Amino acid sequence: MIPGVQQALMNTFQYMLFYLIFSIPLTLSYRTTKVINFAHANFITYGAYVAIFLHGLLGLDIMSVAVVLAFIVTGAIAVLNNTLVFTPLQKRGSSPAIIMISSMGLWITYKYLLYMITDVARYYTAKNFVSYGRITYSDVPRGSIVGISFSQALVASLVAASLLVALLYLFLEKTKIGRAMRAVADNPSLAEISGISRPFVVNLTWFICGGIVGVGGVIWTSFSGAITPEVGDSAILQVFTVGFIGGLVSLLRTGIGAVLISTIENVGIAILNTYFGIPVSFRPFLTFVTLITTLIVFPPLGAGGGLPYRFLRRGSRK
Amino acid sequence: MIGFDIVGFMISWLTLFGIYAILALTLNLESGTAGITNFGKVVFYGVGAYVSATLTAYLILILNGVDVSETPPYGIRGIILLGELGNKNPLLNIGLLVLSLVIAFAVSGVLGYLLTYPILRVGPAFVGFTLLSSGELLRIFLQHYEPVGASKGLMAIPTPFGWIADSRLREVTYLGLVLGLLAVTYVVTHRLVNSPLGRTLRALRDDEIAALCLGKHVPRIKATILFIGSGVAGMAGVLLTYYLTSVNPNMFVPAVTFNVWAMIILGGFGNLKGSLLGASVITFVDRVLTFVTPQLGIAAISPDYLRWVIVGLLIVVVLLVNPRGLLPEKPIRTPAVDVILEEFRGESK
Repeated sequence: MIPGVQQALMNTFQYMLFYLIFSIPLTLSYRTTKVINFAHANFITYGAYVAIFLHGLLGLDIMSVAVVLAFIVTGAIAVLNNTLVFTPLQKRGSSPAIIMISSMGLWITYKYLLYMITDVARYYTAKNFVSYGRITYSDVPRGSIVGISFSQALVASLVAASLLVALLYLFLEKTKIGRAMRAVADNPSLAEISGISRPFVVNLTWFICGGIVGVGGVIWTSFSGAITPEVGDSAILQVFTVGFIGGLVSLLRTGIGAVLISTIENVGIAILNTYFGIPVSFRPFLTFVTLITTLIVFPPLGAGGGLPYRFLRRGSRK
Repeated sequence: MIGFDIVGFMISWLTLFGIYAILALTLNLESGTAGITNFGKVVFYGVGAYVSATLTAYLILILNGVDVSETPPYGIRGIILLGELGNKNPLLNIGLLVLSLVIAFAVSGVLGYLLTYPILRVGPAFVGFTLLSSGELLRIFLQHYEPVGASKGLMAIPTPFGWIADSRLREVTYLGLVLGLLAVTYVVTHRLVNSPLGRTLRALRDDEIAALCLGKHVPRIKATILFIGSGVAGMAGVLLTYYLTSVNPNMFVPAVTFNVWAMIILGGFGNLKGSLLGASVITFVDRVLTFVTPQLGIAAISPDYLRWVIVGLLIVVVLLVNPRGLLPEKPIRTPAVDVILEEFRGESK
């Protein structure tokens, strides 16, 4: 067996879990609210920094506390974005492109606001928050079973991803409010006519989606060796590509996308690094190639519009 | 109060304004007029900057008989040599400027043209995202590519007017070059917007399907516009390189793109004069922050971060309060329409 294969497979599995936690909320939020939220990266970053500030300022190393707090903080940010920016814009009938641009503005604002907060925190505590080391949590088990070592990040993300998939399934299929959420996703006006409060459902969706991504951010702090205010941005290409593979509509296809992207990235870069000496940090290029291929071969026509020129031209050339 | 160099401030503001206004004009052509959500302006800007930096640094060394495989321009000896040899031959410096502008236009333009292929079939979100992520990839590539100096970048790049001894005169000459190119860009974009092509672009932006049904070749028009816009953005990158005399990968973060977006949103979508206004306001705030904050003695918060927060908030607030911007879009001025109207009136009399 080639050395490094096990490492590559473990990485694939680990990243797959992260991409699941990060991308499923993206698809879910787009389905229900029809807003393509580029500020999605901020949820990851802010989730991670809730854990970092708890650890760095209060000395707390209990992940369950950080998870609950991060869920509330990032969920609240998502609801705030919606009430202050997205809903007013949608009410005025702005085009999806305008709403997307406003989410870009939010993204930049939150990102550099966090930089400013870390600067102030460093000024008063003399600790470096801009590049923070890995946090070891006291309440997450780790160890090795049958020769496979389970790091804290793997245990936590495994638990979180399974809970996410199971609870989301139960929530969307079995509860009344979950069915209301699906109804709003499929046909907002019909849902409203049948007595569903659309603003409430949309806000709830934002809260849940923001919260889940924030939890993923907390788990990221036990995985990455250096956490900067750019963590969310460095994952955004993969997260959105996974979402685009699912067409931003299908949760199942988003899951398949997570498996696909993590495999292509980790196995691909392991091969390229071993045989061609390409640096590991070039892994986003593989994702980008996948993204471009997806856009050319299976243009996602369902979400975000777009014209099927391919089909049109084939008909007109006869 | 510490003495304040008002002329220096004006020159640095106007130079920065010129560079950013070129970017804003082309972005307005692409996004405000044609409706292409270009979140990757920084790619073409960065490519232009790197093309000129690499070209100038290597050619100056090679033409002076230095072996670049032994003393590359990113090494310490290379930087010293560049400083010594850079400003000896005015003709060479100006020739390099012209060559850089041409090659940067070609490389950036072709890159923009190629990037339209995968995004023709999909909606604005995918277009924006693909271009945005290509910016990040460019940065990763530059950080690891040794011949352009990897993460340190290239330094001590000879400027086209380095042979002028007086520094103030040199800055003013360069400012003249930047404003001259801005004027050319303005005339070209103005003519494009007020041409039949400009009307087609607005049709594309407002209803792509209708434009397609009227027989407009939507993919080709989009590709053409992105070719022109990206090429001119590459030329703005050249101007930035010679202004700062150094390039490094961290200058080309996605926030730069949104700086330009904030300018066209503030000024008004589809209004070229608005872009100039937006660019002047935002670069002015930027310069003031850079000049003033060190004098106030605020150590905790870097003016860089404050600037980006202002830019982000500006995008959101303008879209919420007055989405048409300070100068709303006006109907297009076309000579043909005037002629037809005149004929129509003449007949009705």
